[in-house]
Amino acid sequence: MIKQLWLKEIRAELYTWKSTLWLLIASLLFSFTSYLLLTNKELSLLDQTELLWLLGKIIIGVAFLIIAIDASSTITTEFEQETAESLFLSPISLKDFIVGKFLASLTLWAMIFIIAIPYIIVASSGSNLALPFLVYTAILGTLGIAGLITIIFGISLLYRSAKNTLTTALVILLAFSIPALFSSTLKTNTVADFFSRINPIDNIFSSLDNVLVDYQTSLLQNVKYLLPLLIFCIVGWVFLVSAAKRFKKEGVIKND
Amino acid sequence: MDDIISIKGISKSYGLTRAVDDLTLSVKRGEIFGFLGRNGAGKTTTIRILTSIIQSDSGSISIAGLKNHQTKEISKLLGVVPESRGFYDWMNGLEYLTFFASLYEVPKEKIEEKVIRLLEQVDLLKNKYKKIGAYSRGMKQRLGLARALINDPQILILDEPTLGLDPQGQRDIQNLLQQLNKNGVTIFYSSHLLDEVSKLCSRIAIINEGKLVAQGTIQELMENTKSQTLTDVFLSLTNSNHD
Repeated sequence: MIKQLWLKEIRAELYTWKSTLWLLIASLLFSFTSYLLLTNKELSLLDQTELLWLLGKIIIGVAFLIIAIDASSTITTEFEQETAESLFLSPISLKDFIVGKFLASLTLWAMIFIIAIPYIIVASSGSNLALPFLVYTAILGTLGIAGLITIIFGISLLYRSAKNTLTTALVILLAFSIPALFSSTLKTNTVADFFSRINPIDNIFSSLDNVLVDYQTSLLQNVKYLLPLLIFCIVGWVFLVSAAKRFKKEGVIKND
Repeated sequence: MDDIISIKGISKSYGLTRAVDDLTLSVKRGEIFGFLGRNGAGKTTTIRILTSIIQSDSGSISIAGLKNHQTKEISKLLGVVPESRGFYDWMNGLEYLTFFASLYEVPKEKIEEKVIRLLEQVDLLKNKYKKIGAYSRGMKQRLGLARALINDPQILILDEPTLGLDPQGQRDIQNLLQQLNKNGVTIFYSSHLLDEVSKLCSRIAIINEGKLVAQGTIQELMENTKSQTLTDVFLSLTNSNHD
């Protein structure tokens, strides 16, 4: 049943041009960034490793933004278009429903990543960084996005409104991404340092820096960045499970 | 005849509003059971509790011997046309029913045959490739009924199934329901179209402000209330004539 829901979701994204539009936007942004990085006078003076790091940050940033917007409507649409009741009248469980939708959102991330592959390969030409860049973008992106989706789905089950979910998701995304863009000199005090250590976006950027600039490519050398991301995913799942419990208690239709 | 649906003392409140209040009723296997009440009387809440869409605050339900926590097993026995009429407008009729057939785990090789048969039954075969978004209200109602029949249910629960349909559409649905009932399907029919109910149903229950006010055959209720028609019965029991 998870498979049927997953396929339905993918078809909905394609039939309604939602995914196609996002993928087009992603490819335009990647093209524009790559072109700028390789041809702009000032930017082309950057060391190749710095340039790759910048490209990695843009791929992850764009993917986070697209997934946040898309996932905010994945569950809530079923309530707003009143399709949830007929769906839950069939023998599907809430778990099937959530996992099917989760896989569909992860598929969108996979598609964004596939689009990014040629840009990564072209930008890495002449260095031996293409493979680690691809592998770490896939691992870090998947962990970060999986955590983000669980949080957004949890919020969706509580709010059941796309507008409220999207607003909250964007606030969370901003709260994570703005400090990640601060220079390290601004992260000297304990609170800033702590937030930087637990912030998933900060950890993704730091790990990419570690891999591409310092060439520390083994998993062991990146475990201090991967672990907080894993914890972020677990916290997201715990939040989603508790939101699902509350949802079950309230019922598929909240008020009559 | 044994009871296929048994509701015992269910209650449901939304804040301070008591939508269903200690409701007890039973539906016999093979009958068309009419469930009547004014707008806001608690009919839809009762149906949603019956179909496990919401949980009751108290009381118990048994459907074909299954308790209400056995939601997956119960959903396989039920076909439901709910009050909310949301559809995936981007799908066509054929895709829609195929999707729901797969959710009910209808064997792959039987899905196409079954979907075509149902589309024919609800007179939508010619429009099977048309997007649901372009369907009329009546066509959507019929598609909803076809969806409810996708798992060959033992019990069909209908919440105002002919609402908004033209007379011909209403008659088509009534004929289909009578045919299904002849084939052994028990029908729980919620409506406030009293003519339709008196034509279709063998027994009825009337609720008012969440409470059961009467249950029995139409004849019994007319005798008990000394009324000539079902409308008179309904008005006398729900005090609608005082509004």
